[in-house]
Parts: sequence; structure tokens; C-alpha cells
Amino acid sequence: MRALAPAVLAALAFAGCQRETRDFRTDPPVLAALDDVAPLPNRIGGAPPDVYVALGQPYQANAYALSEGKRLYDGMNCKGCHADGGGGTGPALLDGWWRYGPDIVSLYVTLRDGRPRGMPSYADKLNSEQLWQVAAYVQTIGSYRAATAATSRNDQMQSRPSENRGPARAPLTEPPSR
Amino acid sequence: MSAPAILPGELDRGAERAILHRQLERTWATPAGFWGALTTVDHKTIGLRYIVTAFGFLALGGVLALAMRWQLARPESRVLSADLYNQAFTVHGANMMFLFAVPVMEAMAVYLVPLMIGTRNIAFPRLNAFSYWIYLFGGILLWAAFALQIGPDVGWFAYVPLSGPQYSSGKRADIWAQMITFTEIAALAIAVEIVVTVFKQRAPGMSLDRIPLFVWGALVTSFLVMLAMPAIMIASTSLILDRLVGTHFFNPTEGGDVLLWQHLFWFFGHPEVYIIFLPATGMVSSMLPTFARRPVFGYLPLVLSIVAIGILSFGLWVHHMFTTGLPRLGESFFTASSMAIAVPAGVQIFCWLATLWDGRPVWRTPLLFIAAFIVTFVLGGLTGVMVASVPLDLQVHDTYFVVAHFHYVLIGGAVFPLLGAIYYWYPKMTGRMLSERLGRWVVGLIFVGFHLTFFPMHFLGLQGMPRRVYTYQPEMGWGAANLFVSLSSILLAAGFALFFLDVIRSARRGPVAGDNPWDASTLEWATTSPPPPYNFARIPVVTSANPLWSEREALPVVTGLRVDRREIVISSVSDATPQARESSPRDSIWPLVTAVAASVMLIASIFTPWAVVWGAIPVAAALIGWFWPKGLPEDEA
Ligand code: HEC
Ligand code: HEM
Repeated sequence: MRALAPAVLAALAFAGCQRETRDFRTDPPVLAALDDVAPLPNRIGGAPPDVYVALGQPYQANAYALSEGKRLYDGMNCKGCHADGGGGTGPALLDGWWRYGPDIVSLYVTLRDGRPRGMPSYADKLNSEQLWQVAAYVQTIGSYRAATAATSRNDQMQSRPSENRGPARAPLTEPPSR
Repeated sequence: MSAPAILPGELDRGAERAILHRQLERTWATPAGFWGALTTVDHKTIGLRYIVTAFGFLALGGVLALAMRWQLARPESRVLSADLYNQAFTVHGANMMFLFAVPVMEAMAVYLVPLMIGTRNIAFPRLNAFSYWIYLFGGILLWAAFALQIGPDVGWFAYVPLSGPQYSSGKRADIWAQMITFTEIAALAIAVEIVVTVFKQRAPGMSLDRIPLFVWGALVTSFLVMLAMPAIMIASTSLILDRLVGTHFFNPTEGGDVLLWQHLFWFFGHPEVYIIFLPATGMVSSMLPTFARRPVFGYLPLVLSIVAIGILSFGLWVHHMFTTGLPRLGESFFTASSMAIAVPAGVQIFCWLATLWDGRPVWRTPLLFIAAFIVTFVLGGLTGVMVASVPLDLQVHDTYFVVAHFHYVLIGGAVFPLLGAIYYWYPKMTGRMLSERLGRWVVGLIFVGFHLTFFPMHFLGLQGMPRRVYTYQPEMGWGAANLFVSLSSILLAAGFALFFLDVIRSARRGPVAGDNPWDASTLEWATTSPPPPYNFARIPVVTSANPLWSEREALPVVTGLRVDRREIVISSVSDATPQARESSPRDSIWPLVTAVAASVMLIASIFTPWAVVWGAIPVAAALIGWFWPKGLPEDEA
């Protein structure tokens, strides 16, 4: 009993930290190492950098990182081509269909290097940490599954349920027409 | 000790004193031990618990304040990170307002009001127990969150859009909002109890114009709580809904309104400062006659100004929003109403001065605290009149000038009287005196430390130092003043440390107090120190506003209450003529069970709206257990 209480507290503390820590300044060497992704030859899927794993995959489960990602999604005008995730010039990001894979490494490579049929590269606009944040956020747009950390709606006109309302009601089965 | 047999329906008439005491003890005492501690509904036990817990939160909040001052002592210092500083000032502010100042004032009322008006327990004693547990769990929620680095970081008034879904990701703002819900439930419960206790349970003869002034303060405060708290309940609930289920109360593009938050918050928030301040003035008015050795000067003006402040406090919330841009008429109206409240406050000050002037003051520690209060509060009131004028407020809004102002009124106006009140009523609560010698040191250190800490902040504010910044650049030239402020805060902290030391030490080793160590005039001093579980063996009859001074020999009493069950006297609202005997509930575990169920529901509803649906079931079950008739004598009509 006496040992249990601190253990539970420690576990909670760890869970709490993971979800809510806010790092305002990441060290430059870490930033550089965060860019060492090893994508497969077709540039879909692959291994994340070692430091990403060592840090405990800090972006997908961290509410603050996700909201930074969302802020950058607005600020980098992803909306211009992908709208609120529903798609426009670029493909929809919330229908559950991916041309280049839904995993975080594919998304990172998409954002950093761009994709041939019109997706621009953001390597010279965002640093590696910001790219991870956006990639992690893009994964939550469709809100296919309930997540422990997700952003909520923006103070804007609403075109879809917010990210923290997952899981989405019904996964899509038909591929999109385009 | 063999307890005398109690016949069912036996009355206290004619019983021999010792036998009566033992019979009442059997009926009213809380059983000893752990179970007794969990189930008790004695207002004194719960009040004391409340007070101790609130002072615990004061100490924790004080530690945070010191950490903030350590960080700000030098420019570009790295003691606290920006993130931690944000959490520190938010948790400090929210803790001081919601977990210390309001609850401690209500707790003093829970302890003192039934004794001062001569009854045996507070109205709705089980609700009282429930209130304490809810308050405790709410406090633990805030501090556990802070310990886990998910403390709220949006300021103690959590303005949207910063605290809204877009800019405050994660659960930090939700924890703030739900902590509010906890303290609100606790405060509302006490407010209802106090109003009913004061209106219906006063000792026979205690007509409205004989009620002690602290009780008036507590009564008006309770009405403020009941009228103000619903506004913040609505606000915090709307915020949680916006954040969790995507409603649009505060989203302007979908028809919501950002300023709505500020209106709702300050419609509560301004009365809130009077919820803190009015009981404090009541304490001053109740302690002062004892040390001035004469009845208080101007009882009627004092009561009327308490009521007037209570009413006016609802008409000036917008002065917190001058910088949001208001129509001219609005600006003038709220400037005028803000300045108007200085009138009843001034009336009180003059009545106190007159009482002292005409009396033969005995300068014991509580009176020293009152003097410190008057000086400090007047200074805080003056800067209050300054920021009530729009042109000046536009300049100093959100600067350290405001930080200085509200610490002057909060610490000067509420904490000083409170500390005096602790020195004054400690003997009643524990049966022992606090040390007079240490007490003088405590007053001195806190008074000097306070002014040295907070007075220079006025100048920092006028020089443009904003509040809520975690650091500043050396070129700003604020370094010297900040260092001075931080060093002075150590002095202030030393004063508080000495106070805690005195309180802890005297609980065991202080000189024994006796029933009425100060030769005071109000009813709480008519019983033993600490009072027995039934407060008064026989309910006193009140013949004047200062019963113990006008009936020096022995108080007249009423008889005719049953001793085999817990019974109290119900009296009429204005004249306190006795009307009925009423039973008072016995100990019960259900308030704790209900509080646990409600806490689980409230905390889980931060994460999913379904918690409200499923969580309501255990709450309902606990309430059924609470109200289920147990076949006790108290259940009879
Ligand atoms: C100039 C328009 C444009 C902008 C701006 C733009 N994209 Fe794209 N994006 C596209 C197009 C077109 C594609 C399809 C590329 C392809 O199929 O090769 C695409 C593809 C993608 C994909 C891959 C989708 C899949 O199905 O695998 C992702 C993810 C993506 N964009 C995210 C973003 C994010 C995040 C931003 C903002 C930082 C952004 N895009 C900005 C046009 C844009
Ligand atoms: C004991 C000595 C105290 C010290 C040294 C102290 C110091 C401070 C400091 C440094 C700040 C932060 C200012 C900023 O960065 O903006 C602050 C904020 C605050 N304090 Fe205190 N404080 C003390 C006691 C109290 C008490 C007793 C109360 C209430 C009864 C109180 C209520 C507040 C509030 C409401 C805030 C504003 C928080 C916010 O900006 O959201 N403080 N205090």
C-alpha cells in the first residue's frame, strides 16, 4: 500500500508530463537530429530518427505540440489547398484515404520534401520540430480514433466536428472519386 | 462514568446540571476515532478543519509567491521557466482567491455564527460536511495538477480566447474551470446554511438589532455568494462546453461573444472581493468593542453600510473592463458607482475610529492587527479610487500598479483582520491563548514586510512593468526595485512563518484560556473554551446587543428541549421569538460518499461529456442513501 501510492503518483506524473509538457526552446543539436528520417526508397513509410524515439515520440501525444501544429497549419496556408481538411486543389486530409501513407514518417517527408503532383516543400519555412508538430496534427484531423490528446475547435466558422470529438462516426469505405 | 439513562422524549427541565451535561454529551458528541472523523456533522469540527485546510493553502500559495519573487529578483533570471511562471501566477491567484480567502471567511462563519447567535449546530449540518469534502477535493485537484505540470496557466480569471479551445490546448484550462465548480458548490452550500441559521436559529430575544456585526457580515456575504456564484458557474460550464463538445458561447464568428466571458466573470468577480472583505469588516466590528472597552459606535450605520456595500458591489463589475472600450455613458456610470462604494466603506472606517477614540483601547495583538488593517486598507482604497477613473486605469491596467493595489486590499483588507481574528478566537477554538510576545513580532514583521514588499510595486507599475511577465531585460531599469521587493518578501514570509509556529506551538503549550479571556460581550464567550459538542447546555435568552456585558451575573436561559435527540430552537426572523423545536441531524457517512461520487463525475467530465450521464447515477444513489429515513429519534417530525 505504502509503495503503491508513490508508484501511482509517479505513473500519473509521467502521463501528465507526456501529455502537457511545453518546451519553448529545443536545443539545436536535437533539432538537427530530429531531421534524420530514413524513408523507404519510394518515400512512403520508413523509420523515424533515433532521437524521436528516444524522446518518447513527443508530438503525437502532446496537446501543446498538436495545437502548435494546428496553428502552423493555419499560418502556412495549408488551408489554401486542403481547406479545413476537406480538400480543394490538394487532396482531402480527413477522408481516411492517403496517397502517401498516414504514418508520421510519410507525413513528415510529404511536408519536408513536397510531393510531385503539386504539394510544395516546407523545408525552408519550418524547422524539424515544427514539421513534426504539423505532421502530428495532420494525423488528428480526421479524428478516426479517440486520442488522449487532441486539439479542439478554432474560433472560426466550423466546417467539420473538431479533432477532439473522435472517433469519427463511420470510416469511409469508398475511395474518393479523384 | 456511567451515563444516566435517558427516557424517550425526556426534556431538559429541572435536570441537575451535571446530569444534563452528560445526557447532552451522549446525544450530541461525535464518536471518537477515524469513523467519527469521517462522519461528523459538528459545525465546530468542520469549521476548524476548513480553517486549517484554508491556511494550508495559504502557505502553499505563499511558497509559490516566493518562487515568483525569486524569479523576478534579477533581470533575465532562470529560476522558473516561462511555462512554470505562467502556472505559478495562475495557481497562486486561483488558490489564494478560491481555496484560501473565500473558504477561510466562510469557515470562520461556520465555526462562529452558531456560537454567536446561541444555537447548537448550523442549519443543514450534513450539507456542511459535504461542503468541506467537496472543497478539499477541489483543492487537491488544483494542486495535484500543478504538481503534475498540468496546472492552469491562463491567469486566475482565465480570459477567453486565451483559455478557449483554440489557444489553450490540453486540459489545463479545464482543470481551472472544474476547480471553480468545486469551490462554488462548497461556497453555495455554506451560504444557504448561514442564511437559514441566522434567520431561523437565533437565541430567543436576539432581534435583528442585536445580532453581532460579524454575523451581519456573514449573512450579507452569503447573499452575495448566492447571487454572484451562479454567474461564474455558467461561465465556467460554458467554457468547458466550448472546449470539450465544441459549443460556440465564446466564438464570435459563430455568433458567440468574447466579452461575454468578461461580463460573466466580473459580475461574479467583483462581488467576490466583497465576499472576502465583508466578513473581514465584520470581524473588525466584532473584535473592536472588546479592546476599546465600549460597545461599537454606530451599530446601525455599520449594519447599513455592510448591506449597502453588498448591494453596490453588484453595480461596478465593468470597472475591470475599462480597457475593452465602453460607451461614454457606461464609463461614467461605472466610474461613479466604483467611487460610490468608497462612501459606505468610509462610514465603517469612521465608526471604528470613533469607537477607538471614545474607548480605552487595550493594545493587544488583535487590536494591533486592526490598526494595521485600517492603515493598509485605506491606502489600498485610495489606489482603488485612482484606478476607478478611466484615464488613469488605461495607463496602469495590467501593470504592477494593479498588483500592488489588489494586494493592499486583499492582504490589508482581509488577511490582516483574519489574522487578528485568529489571535482573538483561537482561545475559544482550542482553549489556549496564543503568545502575546510572538504576536507582536508577527504583526510587526507582517506589517513592515508587507509595505516594503508591495509599496514599491506602485512605482514599478507606473514605470511600465507589466504584470504576468516571467522576466524582464536589464535595460528596463526595474532591477533594483525588483530586488528590493523580493528581499522584503522574505521579511513578510518570516512573519507568516512565525505566525504558523505560534499557532502550532500554542495548541499544546499555550496558557489555558478560560471561558472569556478577553472579557468580551458576545454569546460565543458564554460557553466553555473549546465549546462542548452541544455548544450551550441551555439556550441563552438575549436581552441586549452586548449580552455578556449587560448580564454580568448569569444569562437567562430557556428550557424545554428534549435531551434524547438533537434539538434546536427555531425563532422568528425579526424579533427572534421562539416558534418551535426542531431536530438536528446526526452524524452520517453519506455526505462523504456523495462528495466522492460528485468529484469523480466532475473530474471525469473534463475528459468526456458522457461522464455527466454515467456519473450522475452514483451521485443519485448516494443522495438516496443520504435521505433514506434511518428510524432515529431525529426523523420524527
Ligand atoms: C499549393 C497548394 C498546397 C499547399 C499550400 C499545401 N498542399 Fe498539401 N498537397 C497539395 C497537393 C496538390 C497534394 C497532392 C500531391 C500528390 O498527390 O503528389 C498535396 C498532398 C498533401 C499530403 C499528402 C496527402 C496524401 O493523400 O497522402 C499532405 C499530408 C499534405 N499535402 C499536407 C499539407 C500541409 C500540412 C500543408 C501546409 C503546411 C500543405 N499540404 C500545403 C497541395 C498543397
Ligand atoms: C503572502 C504574500 C504574497 C506575495 C509575496 C504575493 C506575490 C504575488 C506575485 C509576485 C504575483 C504575480 C504578479 C505577476 O507576475 O503578475 C501575485 C499575483 C496574485 N496574487 Fe499574490 N502574493 C501574496 C499573497 C496573496 C494573497 C493573500 C492573495 C489573495 C487573498 C493574493 C492574490 C493574488 C492574485 C489574485 C494574483 C493575480 C494572479 C493573476 O495574475 O492571475 N496574493 N502575487
